Amino acid sequence: MIRELVLKDLKIRYSRPAIGFFWAFLSPLLMVAILYLVFSVILQVKIKEAPFLLYLMSAVFPWRFFQDSVLSSTTSLVDNKNLIKESSIPQYLIPLSIVLANAINFLPSLGILLLTAIFYLRGLPFFIVLLPIILAIHFVATMGISLAASILYIKCRDIKYILEAVLQILFYLTPAFYPLSLIKESFGPAWFTVYTHNPFVGILNLYRLTILKGFYPALKGAGAVSIFLVPLGFAIVILALSFSYYQKNKTIINDYLSY
Amino acid sequence: MHAVPAIIIQAICKKYQLMKPASRSININFEALWALNDLSFEVRRGEILGIIGRNGAGKTTLLNIIAGALSPTRGEIKVHGRVLGLFSLGVGFQDELTGRENIFLNGALIGATRKELEHKLDAIIEFSELGNFIDMPLGTYSQGMRLRLAFSVIVNLDFDILAIDEVLAVGDTLFQSKCFERLSEFKREGKTMVITTQNTAWIERFCDRVVVLNHGMLVFCGAVAEGVAKYQSLLSTEKFFVAPVENSPKLIENTKKWSEDMSDWGKQLGTKEVVIESVKLTDRFGFMCDKIKTGDFLKIKVHFNARNVIKAVHFGIAIFRQDGVYCFGPNTVFDGYDRYNIEPGRGWFALAFYRVVLAPGEYRISVAIWDKNEAIAFNYQSGYYRLTIEGPHIRKKELLSMPYRFKPGSFLDKIDLPWAIGVLDHNILNEQWSRHIDSDQVVLESLKIFGAHNKETVILFTALPAKITINFSRLPVPRAGLYIWIGIYREDGIYCQGMYKKLKKDKRFSIEFRRLLLLPGSYNISVGVWDNAQHSFIMHHHGVYPLRVVSDRGHHGTVYLEHKWSWSLPKYK
Repeated sequence: MIRELVLKDLKIRYSRPAIGFFWAFLSPLLMVAILYLVFSVILQVKIKEAPFLLYLMSAVFPWRFFQDSVLSSTTSLVDNKNLIKESSIPQYLIPLSIVLANAINFLPSLGILLLTAIFYLRGLPFFIVLLPIILAIHFVATMGISLAASILYIKCRDIKYILEAVLQILFYLTPAFYPLSLIKESFGPAWFTVYTHNPFVGILNLYRLTILKGFYPALKGAGAVSIFLVPLGFAIVILALSFSYYQKNKTIINDYLSY
Repeated sequence: MHAVPAIIIQAICKKYQLMKPASRSININFEALWALNDLSFEVRRGEILGIIGRNGAGKTTLLNIIAGALSPTRGEIKVHGRVLGLFSLGVGFQDELTGRENIFLNGALIGATRKELEHKLDAIIEFSELGNFIDMPLGTYSQGMRLRLAFSVIVNLDFDILAIDEVLAVGDTLFQSKCFERLSEFKREGKTMVITTQNTAWIERFCDRVVVLNHGMLVFCGAVAEGVAKYQSLLSTEKFFVAPVENSPKLIENTKKWSEDMSDWGKQLGTKEVVIESVKLTDRFGFMCDKIKTGDFLKIKVHFNARNVIKAVHFGIAIFRQDGVYCFGPNTVFDGYDRYNIEPGRGWFALAFYRVVLAPGEYRISVAIWDKNEAIAFNYQSGYYRLTIEGPHIRKKELLSMPYRFKPGSFLDKIDLPWAIGVLDHNILNEQWSRHIDSDQVVLESLKIFGAHNKETVILFTALPAKITINFSRLPVPRAGLYIWIGIYREDGIYCQGMYKKLKKDKRFSIEFRRLLLLPGSYNISVGVWDNAQHSFIMHHHGVYPLRVVSDRGHHGTVYLEHKWSWSLPKYK
């Protein structure tokens, strides 16, 4: 059933546009192209650790997966209310299917990222074997937030706009297009520790560790705990919390939806 | 025959939370709506069960519960076998996807595997007769085509029980007959089906048994012909512009007309061949009034002007409580008068109530001049006139205050207590039907009801004497603040009347009504022992004791008021 739901989502997304699934490659590339133009060509931002294009891609692609999942899951229960009210499927399958569809959507851009990395850096770091685990952490965290957001949205329709703003802030709080060392230099080591404990920064760092050769020096000063355990713990806790929230609310979801 | 029923439904209730539309905060106030109230029945294996009832009677909710799409708030449902449900126009149908893709999505949502669907795909497409349209997006389909697709998926899958909701009316006749054919095939194969519809002809032709629902309650479960008749009588008594079943000499068991659609209030309806020119409310001295005291005389006089020669008219007047509860609605036909032909000109009719025993509060009066079958009103003024009834104590939640007497007991025993208003809020109690609070201090031995000739019964006659005898085998030591309360409720939870008595030594006492002023229907009696110091019931049996009232006349409403008609018709000049 989950397979049918995911397929439905992908088909709806790509069946009408003329070049269909090709957009899954094109649209992240376009976004990176724009950011590259603004920050590298116009603003002349320099990154020591890696080529700027790669640095940008490694942040933007995973972030797009996260942001798209959360934003489209938020309204998913409401969008699919007929489906929920008329069948006996557990409601959490709806946001889950959306996150899965976005994950599949993310794979092509991940492929582009890997190919670009191999091309620029002539090979991948040893840590690449950890990539599946990192994808799993990223997926779990995304799922947790998406599920909670979708339930909150049926109770309070303001959530959608709040989330849009919050995600924007979070994006600028992650070192997507500025060097990590900038934080250390401008705000001092104490703030740097706080900064790297942001789980979203953590997840991004994990991606960079596994894909970008020569990225490790940038993380000097941040312990192994904050690099790996913070995102992992965050992902598990957020999923557990939102699932228990779901369990508590699942009987009244239909009542809210019929309003 | 199979011993095990296909579906067993035990005392299921379904509560919907209705959000108050104005609220915007996160903590939303809900109002409860009991869509299903204490239903119990069984569906036998291999039978076709029809569910009928008016819109909003709870049919679809019940079917959703059977199909597993909803779970009951209370009660239990056991289903043996695989259930498929056909609701509205296909679960999860997506306009963007093609018919073929929708088959897989819809199939998965109702519990089929992809393998099963692939296997049956050709049969499904063939049955749907969609041809090349199967690869077009669903958005291009007509309603009939959607239905055909949804129906085709269902009937080609394996199942033991099929639940179909009011959808077969959509397809064209040819496809409908094809569906019937297929359903008949299932019937021969011994599959169980549960079907809701408004189409009684359909039910009669197809179903083995029928369940009639009304306002979430089970009215009837059994033979088709009887059930359909029951449903039609429900329709006729609840709707205005539908002809009622011809008056039969049988005893009326239920007036059923218990509430009024308040949206019509203040409106004038009808063909206006006769026009109501004025309506006057007067007291026993003939003075105009819009306020009377409980138990007072009231006369309603209506002047009208007929514009044409009109055949077979009759007159009706109805009293409603401000919240829409139908109190009493006599008309001249119910009271046994002929229908008269009227010449053009002015005339009047009047209805006098000897004792308006309604509880203090605000009321509305409707006035109507009807044709023969009550199918067309010549002039109908719905909820047009206001009447205030005053009394020594405001008991907001009650409907009437018929005279009664405790025996043994004195005048001083009878009291009205302020707590009765707050505590016995029927909205709170309504959700707690048949709640029992017991304690060691109180043991209720028996509650017996006696009818006209002091015969024990649970069936009483409107306007004849009645008596309720209550026998406690244990009571607490009498002290100030202990009271015995007996309440009569309509089966839908409207609080009719409460009776209070100080708790004394007598363990056995009775309440006597010289005339039982309740109209036909089912009622429930509640008994409680109230401790005013604790502000709670020591003992409370809520709505536990059933009571039926019957009558030989078909008055609408709940309260019977003794009354007399008089009129003067326009004379031929």
